[in-house]
Amino acid sequence: MKKAFKLISVIAAVALLVSVMAACSGSNGKNGNTGNANSAGSGKEAPKPVLKRLNVWANEDYNTYPVAGLLEEATGYKVQHDMLPQDKWVEKLNLIMSSGEEYDLVTSYSDMALYSDYAQKGALVDLTPLIEEFGPNIKTAIKPESIEALKVNGKLYAIPTTVTYKINSSILIRTDWLEKLGLQMPTTTEELKNVLQQFKEKDPGGNGDRNVPMTIKGDQAMIDNLVGAFGMPNAWNDVDGKLVPRVMDPAYKDYVAYVADLYKQGLIDREFVANKDATAKEKFSSGAAGAIVVHWADIPAIYDALTKNQPDAKFAYVPALKGPAGEFGFGANAGFDRLTFIPKSAEHPEDAIKWINASLEPETFKNLAIGVEGTHHKVVDGAYEPIQPIFTDERNLANNFMAGTDETNYPQYWQARVRKNPVMFEAFDYLNNKLPEDAKKENALGLAPYMKEYSKSNQQLHTMLNDYTVKLIAGVETIEGLPGFQQKFLEAGGEASSNEVNEWYATVQK
Amino acid sequence: MYRKTIKDYALDGTIYVLLILMGLMTLLPFVNVLSKSFSEEWAIVSGRVGVFPVGFQLDTMAFVVTNSQFLRSLWISVLISLIGTLASLLITSLTAYPLSKRELPGMGVLIVLFIFTMMFNGGIIPNYLLIRELGLINHLGSLVLPALISVFNMLVIKSYFESLPSSLEESAKIEGARNLTILFRIILPLSGPVLATIGLFYAVYYWNDYFHPMLYINSTSLKPLQLYLQDIVMNADTSSALDKSADDLMNVPAEGVRAATVIASTIPILLVYPFLQKYFIKGVLIGSVKG
Amino acid sequence: MSRRNRGEASLQRGAGGRRWRLIRGNLDMYLLLIPGVIFLLLFKYAPMYGIVIAFQDFNIFGGISGSEWVGLSQFEKLIRSDEFLQVLVNTLLISLYKITFLFPIPIVIALMLNEVRRMFFKRTIQTIIYLPHFLSWVIISGLFMNILSPTGGIVNEFIRAIGGEPISFFTDNDLFRSLVVFTAGWKEIGWNAIVFIAAIAGIEQEQYEAAAIDGAGRLRQMWSISLPGMLPTIVLMFILRIGSLLEAGTEQILTMYNPLVYENGDVIGTYVYRMGLGQQDYSFSTAVGLFNSAVGFLLIVIGNMLSRKFLHRSIW
Repeated sequence: MKKAFKLISVIAAVALLVSVMAACSGSNGKNGNTGNANSAGSGKEAPKPVLKRLNVWANEDYNTYPVAGLLEEATGYKVQHDMLPQDKWVEKLNLIMSSGEEYDLVTSYSDMALYSDYAQKGALVDLTPLIEEFGPNIKTAIKPESIEALKVNGKLYAIPTTVTYKINSSILIRTDWLEKLGLQMPTTTEELKNVLQQFKEKDPGGNGDRNVPMTIKGDQAMIDNLVGAFGMPNAWNDVDGKLVPRVMDPAYKDYVAYVADLYKQGLIDREFVANKDATAKEKFSSGAAGAIVVHWADIPAIYDALTKNQPDAKFAYVPALKGPAGEFGFGANAGFDRLTFIPKSAEHPEDAIKWINASLEPETFKNLAIGVEGTHHKVVDGAYEPIQPIFTDERNLANNFMAGTDETNYPQYWQARVRKNPVMFEAFDYLNNKLPEDAKKENALGLAPYMKEYSKSNQQLHTMLNDYTVKLIAGVETIEGLPGFQQKFLEAGGEASSNEVNEWYATVQK
Repeated sequence: MYRKTIKDYALDGTIYVLLILMGLMTLLPFVNVLSKSFSEEWAIVSGRVGVFPVGFQLDTMAFVVTNSQFLRSLWISVLISLIGTLASLLITSLTAYPLSKRELPGMGVLIVLFIFTMMFNGGIIPNYLLIRELGLINHLGSLVLPALISVFNMLVIKSYFESLPSSLEESAKIEGARNLTILFRIILPLSGPVLATIGLFYAVYYWNDYFHPMLYINSTSLKPLQLYLQDIVMNADTSSALDKSADDLMNVPAEGVRAATVIASTIPILLVYPFLQKYFIKGVLIGSVKG
Repeated sequence: MSRRNRGEASLQRGAGGRRWRLIRGNLDMYLLLIPGVIFLLLFKYAPMYGIVIAFQDFNIFGGISGSEWVGLSQFEKLIRSDEFLQVLVNTLLISLYKITFLFPIPIVIALMLNEVRRMFFKRTIQTIIYLPHFLSWVIISGLFMNILSPTGGIVNEFIRAIGGEPISFFTDNDLFRSLVVFTAGWKEIGWNAIVFIAAIAGIEQEQYEAAAIDGAGRLRQMWSISLPGMLPTIVLMFILRIGSLLEAGTEQILTMYNPLVYENGDVIGTYVYRMGLGQQDYSFSTAVGLFNSAVGFLLIVIGNMLSRKFLHRSIW
C-alpha cells in the first residue's frame, strides 16, 4: 500500500512542476515583448527599438555570432534573431506570415511564387516610399534590374541578395587516370566517350568489379556540361526566338541517345538510378569512379577523402565539351539567393528600412562581408584572401546577416569565402573565371518576374521530366514513346507555362 | 520441481539462436552510426566505415556534445520529456479507468469519440491558430498540452485495466472504497508493466517529436534536441527539391558530425528502457495485494 | 469480459432505472473523466473545423471564411489523376503485406522472450532489437543501399562467391515491395514487441505454476496461457493497425525508391509528395488526408464489429 502513496506524491509533484514550467517559460517570452513596446512608444528621441528578425536556418545561433555585435555597433539597432527550420520552412513561414507574428524583417530563400503570393495578398509593406525616404545606401547598392525583377504589380516588396557566381557544377575527372593511360583531357562528347571506354577497359584504378567510369546521382538525368553540348544548358532554352523546355527541344532526343549509350556500354554507373548524393561521392572519393558530376562547393570533402585513400590522385573539371553540332556551354545562374521583406504586421517598418540602409553603408557592408583588412583578410594581387582561422570563426555565417548586398563589390568580397580552401577555389576559379564568357549561357528565366502558371507547375514538370529521362537512359522506356510523354507533359501544365513564359519573353526580346 | 525435457532444451536452443541472430541484425545500423561518429571524416566520405571505426578519434563527439546549442536543446528535451511523460501518464490513466467500465452509460460513445480523433484531425492551420489563441506560441506548454493524451496509449491502458480480475474491485467496494481510492490503491499498483510501457511510449514521443516544436517554437533557445538534430540531418540532404546556394553547401555539417549528433541525441532516451525493464519482468503479484 | 457485457446489457433492458442508479453510484467515475474530456474538446474537436478546408480552395491569408468553396473537386483531382489506380493498388498491397508478415512477428518475439530465463540475456536482446526504431529512415535506407549494393555490398559479394549473378535490389521493380516490407520489419519489430512483452508480464504467474503442476509442457503453456493472456492486446493492436491501411510507409519509401520502381513502389503519400501536388496546396493535402482517415475509421469500426462478433472482444 505504501507504493500508492508514493505514486500520489509523485503526481502532486508533477502538477507542481507543470505549473512552474508554464510560469517560467511564459514570463520569458512576455518580457521581451513588453520591452519592445515600451521603447517604441516613447517618441523620437528615445533609444532605437529592438528589431525582431526572422531568418533562414543556420547551424549557429545568430544572436551570439560575432557579426551580430558588429552590426549592432554599426547600425545602432539591437536585432533579435529567430530562425526558420531547415526542413519545411515554407510551411512555417506561411503560418507566421498569415497569423501576423510581429517580425520587423523576414529573410527567406528566394521563392518567387511565395514572395509574389505574400505581396499580392497584402501581407508585405511596399518598400518604395520607405527607400525613397530612408534608403540612400539601398538605392546605390541594389542594381535597377534586380529591383525590376522583384516588382509585383509595379511595387517593390523585397530587397534581394543576388547570386554571386554563375556556374555550379561540371564533370570532375581523374587526371592521374588520364595520364596513366596517355589520354588527353576530353574536349568533345565523342572524346569523353572514348576516355570513359578506356577507363572501363583498362581499369587504371585497379578496381576490378567495382570500377565505375563515371558516376552520377539518381536525380541528375540532366548532366551539366553534357546538356550544354547538346544545346540545352538551361531548363528552358531559346529555340528560334522562343523559350522551349528541354523535353520539347529537338536536341532532347540526341542528348538522351548519347547518355543512354554511355549507360548501355557501362560507362555511366550501372546503379546511378539508386544513387543518393552521398553514394556517388563515396564512389569517387574511394577511388572507384573515374569521373563524377559535382558542385564545386562539394570539392573539399571529396578531395580530403580521395587523397587520403590514394595520395597520388589528381582531378580537374573537364572544359565545356563540344557536342556533335559544335554547341557547348553551362547553364549560368542569374537571380536571387535570399529575399528580405517587411511584413505588414511589423511594429517598426521604418526602423527596419533604416537598419537595412545602415547595413549597406559601404564600409559597414565590407566589414560585414569580409571583416577588417589585416585581421580577417589581406589583399593579394587585388584579390581578398581570408586570414584563417579568424575569418571562418567570425565571418563564415556573415552572408546570413545580409539584407541586400553591395551588388557591385560583393561578388569580389564573396570570393574570399571560396579561397578558404585552395582546391575548392581552383575548381571554382576554373568554372567561373577561366572558362570563356561564351560558355556561360545565361538562364533567361533567372530574372523573369513571377509567372503564375510557370510557378505552379514548375516543380511537377521538373520531376516528371527527370523521372522520364532516367527511365530512357536506363533503357526501361524507349524513345518511340516520346510524343506520348510530350503530350502528357503539355497537359500537366507544360503548355500553359510555355505560353506564359513566351508571352513575357517576347516583351524582353525587343 | 519441473524437470527439463529434451524437447525443452530444443525449444530453448531454437529461441536463443533466433534471438541472437535477430539481435545481431538489428544492432548493425546503430553500430554503423556509432562507428561513424568516432571515425575520421575522409573514411566516412569514402564509404569505408562499416562495423568498426576507421581512424578512431574522439574530437567529433567532443565537438558535438560541448556545443552550447546542443546542451541547451538537451536540457529542453529532458525537461519536456520528464514533465510531459508524468503528466500524460496521470491524465491518461485517469481517463482510461472510467472508460474501462463499459457497463457505465456513455462510456462506449466516449471511446468512439476518442478513436475518431485518432483518424480525423483539423490539420496544421486550425491547430496553430488554437495554440496562438492560448498564448502558447514560443512556449514549452505548446509541446506538452496538446499531447497529454495519446488515444492509442489510452486504449492500451484501458485494455489492461479491463483484463484485471474484477473480484479485486468488488471486494474493495464491499468494504466501501470509492472509485478513486480503488484506482490508486489497487488498480495502479497492479499496472506496473502497462504503466512502464506507456511511460516509455510517452517519453519516446516527447523526446522524438520535432514537428510540433518546428511549428510552435520560434526562438532558438527553446528548441528541443530533435529539432536541432532534424535541422542538421536535413541540411545534408542536398538532393532535396530546393537547390542550395554555394554558401549553404560550404556549411553543410560533416558526415561525422551528423552521425555523432544522432548518437548523442539518441543515447539519453535509449537509457530509459533498460531502466524501466524491471517493471516488465514481473508485474506486482496479485496475490501479494490481495493479502 | 464479453460475458460480463452481455450480462449488463440484459440487466439494463430489465430495469430502466438501473442506468440512473449506475450513474449516481459512480459519479466519481464521471468526475475522473473531466480532464480527459476537456482535453478532447479543446485540443481535438475544437480544431476539427479545419476539415472543411478539403472542400475549399483554401487561401491561408483569407482563412476559411475568405476561401472559395469547391465541393468535391479536390477529391476528384486525386482520383482522376493518371496514376491513381496504380498508386492505390500499390498502397493496399504494401500495407497488406506489412500487416500479414510484420504483425505476427512481434507477438512471436514476445513469446520467445518470455521463455528466456536468463535475465541479463533477455534485457540485452530486448534493448538491442528496439534500437533501429530510433534511427531515421534516411539512415536505415542508406545503410541497406550499402549492404545490398551490386558493387561491393556484402550480400552481393556473398552471392558472387557462391557463383550467382549480383542482384540490383534497389532498382528491381519486382523485388521492391519485398524490400520495403523487410526493411520496415527490421526497423520496427523490436519496438512493436514492447507492448506484447508488457501484456505477457501482466499475466498472473500462478497460472503458469498451476499448468506446470498439471504437467503442461512449455509449448503448451505458451499456447494456452501466454497467448490467450495477450489476446486483448493483440485484438486492440490489430484493429488499430488496420486503421492505417492507406499509410503504407511514405517516409520510408521516399528514402528508398527511384523512377525504376515507381510502378510497384509508388504509394499515395509518395505520389502526392513527388508530384508536388500538396505543396502549398492545403486543400488538396487535407483532402488526401481526409480520404485516408475516412477509410481508416471505417476499417476500425468494421474491425471492432467483427471482433465483437467472432472473438467476443472489442474496443468499445
